[in-house]
Amino acid sequence: MDGGAIFRPAANWSGEQVRFMTAGSVDDGKSTLIGRLLLDSKSLLTDQAAGLEGEDIDLAALTDGLEAERAQGITIDVAYRYFATPRTSFIIADAPGHEQYTRNMVTAASVSDVVVLVIDAARVEHGVLKPQTRRHAAVAALMGLDLIVAVNKMDLVGWSQERFDEVRTAFGDVAGVLGLRDIAFVPVSGKRGDNIVRRGEAPWYEGPTLVELLEQAPARASHAASPLRLPVQVVLRHGGGRLYAGRIESGAIRPGDRVRVGPGAVEASVAQVRVGGAGVARAEAGASVTIELTEDRDLDRGGVIADGGVRYARRVVADLCWLDEHAWTPARRYRLRQGALETQALIEGVRFVRDMGTLENAPASALKLNDIANVQIAARDPILGDLFTELPGTGAFVLFDPESNQTAAAGMIREIVE
Amino acid sequence: MRLAYEFGDALMGGEAFQAPALQTATTRLDRLEAEAVYILRELAFYERAALMFSGGKDSAVLLHLALKAFAPARAPFRLLHIDTGHNFAEVIAYRDARAKEAGLPLIVREVEDSIRRGSVRLAGPNASRNGAQAVTLLEAQQEFEFDALIGGARRDEEKARAKERVFSHRDAFGAWRPRAQRPELWGLYNRHIGVGENMRVFPLSNWTEADIWAYIARERIALPSLYYRHARDVVRRQDLLFPVTDLTPAAESEVVERLVVRFRTVGDITCTCPVESDAANAEDVLIETLGATVSERGATRMDDRANAAAMERRKLEGYF
Repeated sequence: MDGGAIFRPAANWSGEQVRFMTAGSVDDGKSTLIGRLLLDSKSLLTDQAAGLEGEDIDLAALTDGLEAERAQGITIDVAYRYFATPRTSFIIADAPGHEQYTRNMVTAASVSDVVVLVIDAARVEHGVLKPQTRRHAAVAALMGLDLIVAVNKMDLVGWSQERFDEVRTAFGDVAGVLGLRDIAFVPVSGKRGDNIVRRGEAPWYEGPTLVELLEQAPARASHAASPLRLPVQVVLRHGGGRLYAGRIESGAIRPGDRVRVGPGAVEASVAQVRVGGAGVARAEAGASVTIELTEDRDLDRGGVIADGGVRYARRVVADLCWLDEHAWTPARRYRLRQGALETQALIEGVRFVRDMGTLENAPASALKLNDIANVQIAARDPILGDLFTELPGTGAFVLFDPESNQTAAAGMIREIVE
Repeated sequence: MRLAYEFGDALMGGEAFQAPALQTATTRLDRLEAEAVYILRELAFYERAALMFSGGKDSAVLLHLALKAFAPARAPFRLLHIDTGHNFAEVIAYRDARAKEAGLPLIVREVEDSIRRGSVRLAGPNASRNGAQAVTLLEAQQEFEFDALIGGARRDEEKARAKERVFSHRDAFGAWRPRAQRPELWGLYNRHIGVGENMRVFPLSNWTEADIWAYIARERIALPSLYYRHARDVVRRQDLLFPVTDLTPAAESEVVERLVVRFRTVGDITCTCPVESDAANAEDVLIETLGATVSERGATRMDDRANAAAMERRKLEGYF
């Protein structure tokens, strides 16, 4: 895309939508980079840009929205931003770099297709990455996101290819440990706008700009070809019949399909699939549908309409990111939500906690805010035995604290125990 | 009242609406619609949920989605409007007609009553009543014991909104505490509330103004006609046009002009300004929106101009 192109806000509202998040250590220039994306894609409207004219515009002020943040000069929560290129519309989840807010990064990652990790080229010395950079890469790996690394502030290191390669190598080592693959690297200057939307100065870099990489990033792989999982959010009554309303998390459904319903995995057949009240021939992952079954089955809110291979579990091993300021209490039962189901759950044991600085596993018996741990969990009611890597829609769960109602943890199922 | 579109769909009947044969939800509007329907169905969790319905375009889209989400059954919501008493008569007529057509009970509570009770005191007789809505809203919420209020707010509207959750937990005073927001993951929303607390829910969080107009065009959603071009008496103040009405007369020194305008938002008359426009329908407005250089609230809402953090402060005090 050449620098002269004018992007209208949301010019392509009928096109694809890519949701991505930004991450990176504090001061590595994340907010400035987002400000640059918004400004250069011309989606910034003039009143929001007021006060941003002049030589040294404060791009970070565009995203550091709340009064408290401006006072402290840090981003304290996830902010969502919108812009579009002629091909694609984007939603940015801007996650904070400050260490104590890792929970917000996990939040942003869970609703994103791809993550842009910003690394300050000027501050990677002797090939050592900052702990927060490693932590954020580890979260991206944990949550199964594709990764684009924006090597920022290249103007401060004289567009040194050597430095760019050094960052690449340093990150490559970390990526190897984490099992991250197919990572794209792009040298940028958020402050000057090089290789963000318009092409930059480095003659040695002939690859795509950041926006081009984002446009190429496929929306998170469609799960339409995966096994059917349709959690029932609500049962509607209509003309004496029962209709099951929910969102297809994976797979597809059409009238006549043989399915298994509820924790008993009872066989049933699909009489009708509706979207917005009208019958449709087929619906895929992502669609919110209403299903009518031919047979009368004991299926309620929280139950699941699934394919024939579905299996349920009462005990699983999961990676857990602790999100609550209150540490884990071993005796306490938490509320577990998977799909539309809520049940009680008990963390039976912590197998290890990942040290995000060294990326090593350490034995542990406690769980506190921002810990990422491998645990064994038992559920009161049967839950879907789906692995997060295969079925992210139903292989994920969250824990709520029944006393405070806070969201205590985000979980990803890794193994089925029984 | 002139409606820009006839009501073509019979959602409650369930069969007349034309849906595409294949529902993939990969393109933008399909993805946004499926997400909003999913969020609205999450509301079945609550005992007493109300959908904020003012007759404005965002609430019209919200109501349309709510009917779709529960079709062919009835949506389990009551409609609630906090009326400042300074609304355009046409918008009020549209509100009443649409609520009746949707078959959902409409509750209207007046800021005027809060003024009479003394819970709202205004700076002057013609002062904007927008901020006072928060007080009347809390009073209505307590009166009906609503445990969830559904709003049409979008994250692209304003900086403080950009950080808002889809399920935004409020304490017994209706206050929003940005630092205590619950993390929101994978659409596995945390709907739990304590005694006296409530949830504000925003199904249109990820929509932009352009998405709203594209959806209104696609779904043929009827709106009050003042969203489209019409001749109106206005005066120019600073760089804004002000409607000349009984409530907001021109000053003696001001020149009244009759211009062809439309409203981008229709709120309290005392703080809602039209823009010059030739847009006759939703497609025209969409095209204008795509070329817009001033954001929606900036062009038309005086109340947000007072201070860069105006919205953030009002939200902390319980504003929607």
